[in-house]
Amino acid sequence: MINNYLALSIVLFCLGILGVVSRRNVFVVFMAIELMLNAANLGFVAVSRLHVNMDGHVLALMVMAVAAAEAALALAVIILLHKHKGNLDTNIFSLLKG
Amino acid sequence: MVHNVSYLGFIPLLPLAGALILGLMYLATCQGKQISERLYGILGCIGPVLSFFMALRVFFSLRGLPEQERFLSHVAYTWFSTGELDIPMGFLADPLSAIMLLFVTFVGSLIHIYSIGYMKGDARYGKFFAYLNLFLGSMLILVLGDGPVVMFVGWEGVGLCSYLLIGFWSDDRSNVMAGNKAFIVNRIGDLGFVLGMGFLFWGIGADGFDYLSLKANAQNLTAPVGLVVCLLLFVGATGKSAQIPLYVWLPDAMAGPTPVSALIHAATMVTAGVYMVARFSFLYAHVPAAGEIVAWIGMLTALLAAIFGMYQDDIKKILAYSTVSQLGYMFAGVGVAAYSAGIFHVFTHAFFKALLFLAAGSVIIALHHEQNIWKMGGLRSKLPTTYKTMLIGGLALAGCPPFAGFFSKDEILYSALASGHVLIWMIGVVVAGMTAYYTFRMIFVVFHGTPRDQEAFDHAHESPKVMTVPLVILAIGSVFAGFYNLPAIFGGHQKFSHWLAPSLVEHHPHGGVGLEILAVAASVVAFVIGVSIAYRKFSVPVAEPVYKGFNKFGYHKFYVDELYHTVIVRPYQFIGKAISRAIEPFVIDAPVQASGWLYRMFGLAFKVFQAGYVKVYAIYMVIGLSVLSLLVSQSLN
Repeated sequence: MINNYLALSIVLFCLGILGVVSRRNVFVVFMAIELMLNAANLGFVAVSRLHVNMDGHVLALMVMAVAAAEAALALAVIILLHKHKGNLDTNIFSLLKG
Repeated sequence: MVHNVSYLGFIPLLPLAGALILGLMYLATCQGKQISERLYGILGCIGPVLSFFMALRVFFSLRGLPEQERFLSHVAYTWFSTGELDIPMGFLADPLSAIMLLFVTFVGSLIHIYSIGYMKGDARYGKFFAYLNLFLGSMLILVLGDGPVVMFVGWEGVGLCSYLLIGFWSDDRSNVMAGNKAFIVNRIGDLGFVLGMGFLFWGIGADGFDYLSLKANAQNLTAPVGLVVCLLLFVGATGKSAQIPLYVWLPDAMAGPTPVSALIHAATMVTAGVYMVARFSFLYAHVPAAGEIVAWIGMLTALLAAIFGMYQDDIKKILAYSTVSQLGYMFAGVGVAAYSAGIFHVFTHAFFKALLFLAAGSVIIALHHEQNIWKMGGLRSKLPTTYKTMLIGGLALAGCPPFAGFFSKDEILYSALASGHVLIWMIGVVVAGMTAYYTFRMIFVVFHGTPRDQEAFDHAHESPKVMTVPLVILAIGSVFAGFYNLPAIFGGHQKFSHWLAPSLVEHHPHGGVGLEILAVAASVVAFVIGVSIAYRKFSVPVAEPVYKGFNKFGYHKFYVDELYHTVIVRPYQFIGKAISRAIEPFVIDAPVQASGWLYRMFGLAFKVFQAGYVKVYAIYMVIGLSVLSLLVSQSLN
């Protein structure tokens, strides 16, 4: 049983990575990151059930709180990015190019 | 028996704190609102004056002790300790340093007070007092240090301050050059001092490197090492105290403001060399050959400087050469092992030379910074106080009995004669005559006769009280300081020599009354001859002379500066240029450039990884995290 949950978690996580790496819209990248966080949550909760204790639940709640905070911040950043360039394509933000 | 007193450290600390406060005040306000000159002046004088009172306290506590216990010391903190060497920041007051302290702080305080008037209106008033305080503080460290290392701190400090103050009016390039010259020439001497200190430590430094331990171990020093140490230390002294061959900086040091000249020449700096030799009398006493060299260099310097002094046009340069000449006397004194006589001349000289410089400064201010004596004349009526005090200073310098300079100079000459240095004595007498000549040449030309520059004369006026009062005080000192060491022939007890006895290693030569009378008579005759020649030539109105033959040679100071320039400075510059062209680009620049190039290439190679796109960094992160988690899981298994 646990294996199914973990497999789903890994699949979701990999989808998230794929989204971050391949998509160019900042919003989609952001959603992919949220997907990865929730994949991790799934894993935590599943393992927590397996061991019959609450540690994983606590951690999952914590991740949710962090995700909420991150969402608030990231959305603000996205608005600023949009104001700055009028476009949300990640490839046009390349100031760190060496 | 050494007594510990904690207030000793405050004596140098007070002027140093003054320097810090004034310097910060000046730094904070030099670009904006000005602090009033009065505040600067008062703050500048507090430190030296308080130090003077503490010096008095030191003097009287020493007097209250039995003769062989007259040592006060205080260790402020351990300065550094490496291996066996443990150098404390320690201070020692014994009869010798107490005397030095007294006149350094006394004359220094008067010069500070005088400067309030002299520097009036200068844009860098605050900076001047900060430097002046720093100068005095350094000198007090030099005098009070309980060992060669602490002395060296002060030694370098006065060198630095002389540089800062000689080039004080730095708008004029020649002033800056004079400051540089003083600093560089002193550096040569300092090298000698450092080397001498090193040899001394190598020889007998293992059992403590302060004066008292060194003194106790002095007889363990082998003769060759002793000679080397003495000569190297004397090289240091020739730099600081302007002796042949390093005297050239002192006349140029006249570029500084006159109070600085007074401070350098009378109270601080140049007396350091004589003090140092007297301080190390326990070494020099073991090495008569070194003393012989010191005495001869001193007397030859006295002669040379006296010759130069007879031809100078600049009132301050005349005084500068007179200082070099008098320093020569002092070294002749300490060279013939008459340390107390040498220090006594330092003591009296401090009064009359400070007086002469400050009086000259008063003349210079009255004539709006005119220093050429051939543009002065007849100033006696315009500057009565300055004239009277300068006359007293001149009489003391020229060695007229019973002024201060007479007794101290006579003591040195008598010691030379009694210890069998007849030739040195004879040169000394001749120099005494020349001293009288050039001193009164200056006084007659400046104050007597008729004005050479009518307009300047009409505008001349006596200096304010803040300047004349120090003159009068110093004049009193110049008259009476000599009586402190009245020899038996005049019914005295040589109190000064007896006072210094615990600090010095010397035996007084007993030449007999006949020799004493001979020495005194010769000095007086030399004085009379010198003054009468000056009177014959310069009491009548004379124009600026044109020098020919030997006189021209003397007027140009035997071309020593030019000689040094050709023999030392030019080759040095040539070598420097050659190195900068032939060696530096390849040996020094090339590796530096190459290392820069290497890092640049390194950067270029790794630059490609910095794509600047978010997703590339995300991929790096994923790869990195994967590798990391792999490694972690590997190690867990």
